[in-house]
Amino acid sequence: MDDERAPSPEETLRVIEEQSAATTRWLYGDPLLLYVPWGVAWVLGFTALFLHYGLDGRSYAPISQMQAVGVLMAAQLLAGGIAALGFVRLNKVLRGDSNARGTMFGYAWFAGFALMTVLCNRITPHLPPQESGLLWAGSSLMLVAALQMAGGAVFLNWPMFFFGAYVGAVNALGVLLGAGWHALLTAVLLGGGFIAVGVVLRRCS
Amino acid sequence: MDKALPELDPVIHAQARLRVVAALNVLGEGDEMAFNSLKDLLGMTAGNLSVHLTKLEEAGYVAINKTHRGRTPVTFVALTRRGRLAFEDYTRAIRTLLDNAGGV
Repeated sequence: MDDERAPSPEETLRVIEEQSAATTRWLYGDPLLLYVPWGVAWVLGFTALFLHYGLDGRSYAPISQMQAVGVLMAAQLLAGGIAALGFVRLNKVLRGDSNARGTMFGYAWFAGFALMTVLCNRITPHLPPQESGLLWAGSSLMLVAALQMAGGAVFLNWPMFFFGAYVGAVNALGVLLGAGWHALLTAVLLGGGFIAVGVVLRRCS
Repeated sequence: MDKALPELDPVIHAQARLRVVAALNVLGEGDEMAFNSLKDLLGMTAGNLSVHLTKLEEAGYVAINKTHRGRTPVTFVALTRRGRLAFEDYTRAIRTLLDNAGGV
């Protein structure tokens, strides 16, 4: 039988490396599918918000705040759906500690965004439209940053941890500069950043 | 090229079992993979994979758990701690052999 023959050390090492890489790709999916949809969602959504806000308080395009938020939400729902499909598949393939960690991590995202929605809904009526938009965008990105860093810590994934820190830094800078700048920086540096991370991780794998 | 490799673990050294162990080693400790998923990943038949898993189980390198998901029977496979150590030793031995031979 062919698979019972003794391979050479070079061939053996190549088999180990190829099988390990193939298994990682097969289990955790294509990084392009995990990062790029979020990147595209943020590029589209925050560009629409940027065009609405402008940098000097005047809109660059006839897009209402609700229309821009609608673009962002629709694109994020699509990206979230693609990510959820990956988690559902992984749940069928594996059982054990990683699944338990992933499930708890998923609930943490859900609970965080639910709490953020309650908080922002409560405060929004007391703020001017630009500031309320900044509150929603800034707090949701804060949550993304903190959970990415926590996820990196739980799964011992340094790229995830550092990317969370990067999201936090860009978000803080944008909040300090105002709604228009926040939307611009998020679209370019975070939306573009997610796309770049997906492409780089794909090449590395 | 036929190199003598007397010190390599014969249970792992067969290419099919090497691929099984290398795949299971990617999982974290405490994780198990469904038998059918492992079969699809490795592109083996169920019978062939079963034969190799039995050999690995006899050596104490894998643990096989049969359970149910709803009413469907599912078999899960995991590398034991002993299997993980054996794979680490095996990989180290292969690298040492290559270093001594001035290979890759």
